[in-house]
Amino acid sequence: MISKEEVLKLAELARLKVSDAEVGQLQKDISSILDYVGQLAQQPGLTTTQRDSAGSSEEEASRAAKPHNVMRADTPRAAGDMLAGKEEALRAAFPTREGSYNVVRTIIQKDE
Amino acid sequence: MKLNELTITDASKKLASGEITSVQLTQACLDAIAARNTELNAYLEVFDDALAQAAAADARRKAGENHPLLGTPLAIKDNILIEGRRASAASKMLENYVATYDATVIKKLKEAGAVFLGRTNMDEFAMGGSNENSAFGAVKNPHDSSRVPGGSSGGSAAAVAAHLCLGALGTDTGGSVREPAAFCGVVGMKPTYGGISRSGIMAMAASLNQCGVLAKTAEDAELLFNTIAGLDALDSQTFDAGVYPKRAAQKKIGVPRALLAQGIDADVLERFEASLKKFQSQGYTLVDVDIPSAPLALAAYYIIMPAEASTDLARYDGVRYGLSLKAGDLVGDYAATRGAGFGQEVRRRIMLGTYVLSSGYYDAYYAKALAARAQLRAEYAKALTGVDVIAMPTTTSPAPKLGEKSEPLAMYLLDIFTVTANITGNPALSVPMGTVEREGKQLPVGLQFTAAHGDETGLFAAAKSL
Repeated sequence: MISKEEVLKLAELARLKVSDAEVGQLQKDISSILDYVGQLAQQPGLTTTQRDSAGSSEEEASRAAKPHNVMRADTPRAAGDMLAGKEEALRAAFPTREGSYNVVRTIIQKDE
Repeated sequence: MKLNELTITDASKKLASGEITSVQLTQACLDAIAARNTELNAYLEVFDDALAQAAAADARRKAGENHPLLGTPLAIKDNILIEGRRASAASKMLENYVATYDATVIKKLKEAGAVFLGRTNMDEFAMGGSNENSAFGAVKNPHDSSRVPGGSSGGSAAAVAAHLCLGALGTDTGGSVREPAAFCGVVGMKPTYGGISRSGIMAMAASLNQCGVLAKTAEDAELLFNTIAGLDALDSQTFDAGVYPKRAAQKKIGVPRALLAQGIDADVLERFEASLKKFQSQGYTLVDVDIPSAPLALAAYYIIMPAEASTDLARYDGVRYGLSLKAGDLVGDYAATRGAGFGQEVRRRIMLGTYVLSSGYYDAYYAKALAARAQLRAEYAKALTGVDVIAMPTTTSPAPKLGEKSEPLAMYLLDIFTVTANITGNPALSVPMGTVEREGKQLPVGLQFTAAHGDETGLFAAAKSL
């Protein structure tokens, strides 16, 4: 079972506040899920390079289209055209607003 | 027959001939919602301008338009954006969020002239298989209100089944359209990965997630799919028609016998065998297919999905929109906002995703899951070379009772047959295959078809012959 400290570390990494009461339950739940999904590690045939190996030609032929990059058309667009007319709706969603500005917390602080 | 009980196809004919109006049709749905939504909790909000939208559709028809969906009342899952309307993903995090633009699927439905009745309840951020994870209360199954409708598109499935709309949109990341469709006795379809644009749909595990459709018949589902599918510059995962080769129908159905040997309720298996007989009587040949890695799909899914979800949901930090709580400093603000805004299951999956992506664990979990994914894709591609579709039950049993699957892992096991299509990117669909009796109630069960990438035509063809 994963430890209380591990749960608290995960919560910190994930930026989630969890209550003390919740930690015990999370230890139990996350451990049982990890036990289940951990069965993959016991599969000797599953090697992480497998996806690069070529299958039979029949398999290859039937396999879905190969990954390829999708680019949008390289055509100029007027600045801000995706947002045109939506500025006020976007501002209205700000949690704290001053005029047209979204008020956010000071990030850089002086060392005392 | 009440107007709200019509299929989209039948209603469309009546609308086209002038026998009924969209206002009448929409009113019939609103009456049904008024009668049953308090009990079912399928809709989180019913739009107060639904009749006005219907009147506008009637006016468009008068002016000469005739799209088959013109004036059709639909329900929309709460994680799909409609400009100017709330979209909460059934989460406290976005309880008061108002969409600033239309999802591409909504834009296409507006062009077709569909009427949006309201937004449907769901598992929070589409995480769940029973709709009990909604921050705004569980949805009840219309066939037995002591049971769940399935999830995460439970509100959409219940609304279609109870005739509170003619069709609905959902999203499917591991079975979230097909599983509730099976539990509620309707058709639910997930396209090929990239088949429908996800612009304007809240991301949850982006390599798995797709928009899907729910309807009373396969014909209706096909109409909805054809209206919203296709290439979209705003979603680079969408593809052109030529990407996947066209397939000729072989009239062959693959059955993965090894997977059916255990774990499925006997009467569910009986319904399945009876459906297969029906196909044989229509000239289909049954072929045994082997997918040796299928038992690994669920484990791979519950690594890939939380890993991606933990990153997809990082955007909800209370800075630009949504819930925003203050707690001393910036990191404290994030933790307080996300701790209070996300429900228990969402927090659990984010932490699980954080764990499997952690340095030191990546190779044991995430890399293994990607290897299993590649293996499954290859096995499915091979199995599908000789058949049109692969058939199996959508779920191992009918809808469970509310509260029955309280352990997370027990809940996850509801997805055991549906996650594979999301892992491999194949299109899949659940179609009703009759009912089984539990405690004196007749409960629907579904048959799932999986087709080759890009072969939605084959998928719908098989579903329409059942």
